[in-house]
Amino acid sequence: MSGNDDYTRYLAREKYFSDQIVNNSRSMISIINRNYVYEKVNTAFCDAQKGMEGSIIGKSLGDVWGHETFNARIKPNIDRCFEGATVRYEASFTIPQAGKRFFEVIFRPFPAESGEITHLLAETFDITDLKLTEKFASDKEEEFRRFETNLPIGFLRCKPDGMIIHANRAFLMIMDCIEESSIQNADLRDYYSEKGLLDFHLEQLKDHKPKTFGRVPLKTCKNNDIVCRISAFMTADEAGNPSYIDFSFEDSSRELMLENRLLQAQKLETIGALAGGIAHDFNNILATISGYSELLQNDLPRTSPSADNVAKIMAAVSKARSLTNQMLTFSRQVEQEKVSVNVYDVLKETIGFVRSAVPSYIKIKSSFRVRNVPVFADPTQLFRVFLNLMTNAIQSMEERPGTISASLALVKGKNVQKELNKDIVADEYVLVTVKDMGKGMDPSLLRRIFEPFFTTREVGKGSGLGLSVVHGIVTEMGGEIMVSSKINEGSVFYIYLPVSREYEPLSVITGKNKRILFITGNKHESRILSLALESAGYEITLSSDMDHLNKIVTDTKKRPDLIIYMIEAEQIRTDDLIGILSKQDIRIPCIIIADSNQTAEEEKLVNSGIVNQHLIKPVSLREIINAIQVSMS
Amino acid sequence: MPGILIVEDENDLREMLKVSLTRRKFTVLEAENGKDAIIHFKPAVTDLVITDLIMPEEDGLKVIMRLRELKPSIKIIAISGGGKAGPASYLNLAKALGADAVYSKPFSVNEMIMKIEELLVIEQDM
Repeated sequence: MSGNDDYTRYLAREKYFSDQIVNNSRSMISIINRNYVYEKVNTAFCDAQKGMEGSIIGKSLGDVWGHETFNARIKPNIDRCFEGATVRYEASFTIPQAGKRFFEVIFRPFPAESGEITHLLAETFDITDLKLTEKFASDKEEEFRRFETNLPIGFLRCKPDGMIIHANRAFLMIMDCIEESSIQNADLRDYYSEKGLLDFHLEQLKDHKPKTFGRVPLKTCKNNDIVCRISAFMTADEAGNPSYIDFSFEDSSRELMLENRLLQAQKLETIGALAGGIAHDFNNILATISGYSELLQNDLPRTSPSADNVAKIMAAVSKARSLTNQMLTFSRQVEQEKVSVNVYDVLKETIGFVRSAVPSYIKIKSSFRVRNVPVFADPTQLFRVFLNLMTNAIQSMEERPGTISASLALVKGKNVQKELNKDIVADEYVLVTVKDMGKGMDPSLLRRIFEPFFTTREVGKGSGLGLSVVHGIVTEMGGEIMVSSKINEGSVFYIYLPVSREYEPLSVITGKNKRILFITGNKHESRILSLALESAGYEITLSSDMDHLNKIVTDTKKRPDLIIYMIEAEQIRTDDLIGILSKQDIRIPCIIIADSNQTAEEEKLVNSGIVNQHLIKPVSLREIINAIQVSMS
Repeated sequence: MPGILIVEDENDLREMLKVSLTRRKFTVLEAENGKDAIIHFKPAVTDLVITDLIMPEEDGLKVIMRLRELKPSIKIIAISGGGKAGPASYLNLAKALGADAVYSKPFSVNEMIMKIEELLVIEQDM
């Protein structure tokens, strides 16, 4: 019997040990029968359920976890286990007083001695803490990824040898790349404009300290030039070997562009002051030359061959004067007579003027989104601006066929402010764009085009003052001119002018009801001048044939108070004009407007004595108003 | 003959005007700058002043104002090689201050002399 007792004691001891192990385990352990009823549970289980062992044993899983949860989430797993599989899954349950907890659940088949699976062993571990830690880590990672993706600064991770591992969206945008895969495993060196610069940077990073490299010139995926401010940091692994390098890229192209523009504006201001000073001194010298020439001319008989030579000196003075005048316009030392003028009218007339002279292989396209754009300007100066840009566009096309497009659009003042980064003077601006398909300019050329005497043409062809004068006129109007260009693709000029919808009075007194007869060859150019004079209060009649002219000057009721004659007028010859105006009973003051190259026609007119004032192109509204006032006084 | 004062800091130009006017039998007086013109002004013998506008010492605008004060009937012609004082050109300022005629350099001497004769004849008639 003692052997039996020993065995019983042995069993009791074994059971005690097993119970100790099972009941001290932090896992919830239970044995479940085929009726889904708990047959045995450990202490951890009871603790979690806040119940006594006895109150749980005999209860079905449905009673304990709720029938809905049991049927949907527990039963299918248990059934699989009764079929012989060990089932492992994660689930969250709401535990009384502990709230929602995460568990790892394992069901193991628990066969009877016969081998039939009559029970299963359920083990449930509380993995809530682990889960929360994991979730925290993944949330953090997600947050960082979102931050990195949306960061407005380009972020790039490279291997220590410069091979790209990863780039964020901002980097792809800065570098004009379509997607990340297109640059993964690419060599960062390929995006550096300066060969060897990246290796120099990598060398500097070897001390594992953050470095800022300032502005670095780069090439984008589309091979455009940009400038980025780059900082970087090299990370090492535990052994101290470099593992990867993180770069930040900030696009400073716009910043650089604005800086350059400011620098350029300052430079132009300086050159302007210089040019203005030179022009002023030259005008003094020219006055002396022309004065003595006139004295000489007075002394010489008309028939003297020397009189011709003196006339040539005076013609040269006229040319020089036109040059100094342009220099003064560039340096904004010329007061402009401004009237309210519709940019649309002037641009349309300029295009008409240019169209008549352009070779047939060049098309001129215009798109006007607005037709009523009043600005406060001298229309003749505005004409000069547009004419100059169109002429440059045609010249840049050289022999190649193509299109020049001019357009007109309104822009809100605050957008102009944003675009140009400058103080605005109006709520609304008009943007005039002139685009060509010509040979284009490289950046070094582009930087200098508004400087006076800077020309790409051969010496002797063009003074190189054109664009500097354009710049002076636009700036004087409170506007801004900009240009972008690509070699072999063409250039685009942008002119912003402040729109002025309010009436602004003229600074000079103009003769109301004064009739002016305009005799002209090219209707476009004179239409601008007549537009200007009309805004200044004159009544303008255009004339381009003899019959009309004869009729109008002989009719005492319609007779004009003044005649303006443009030398190139083809329908009415200078001789005809001299013939009409020399008649005893017709005394009408006459102003002639000539090209800068003196012609025999001009000389004939001047010598005929019918001319009161003699102007040389380009004439400004102020000059012509002055001439009118002097002629009529 | 009427007396004309030329106020011009450019020697060559002043000389040219002097030669041209002397030929027409005008009595010519000269000043190198605005300050001299004002200090040595002789109202009794000066009927007309031709003055440059941008000059060292007192400028032409000051000359116009001061001489008008000293002799209200004086005729004034302003000449300038270009330049702006603020938004308006010197020539327009001169006009506003009462210059009878303004010329921008280079100008026609013949035209100017015609104007001078016109201005001084009107004066004599009155």
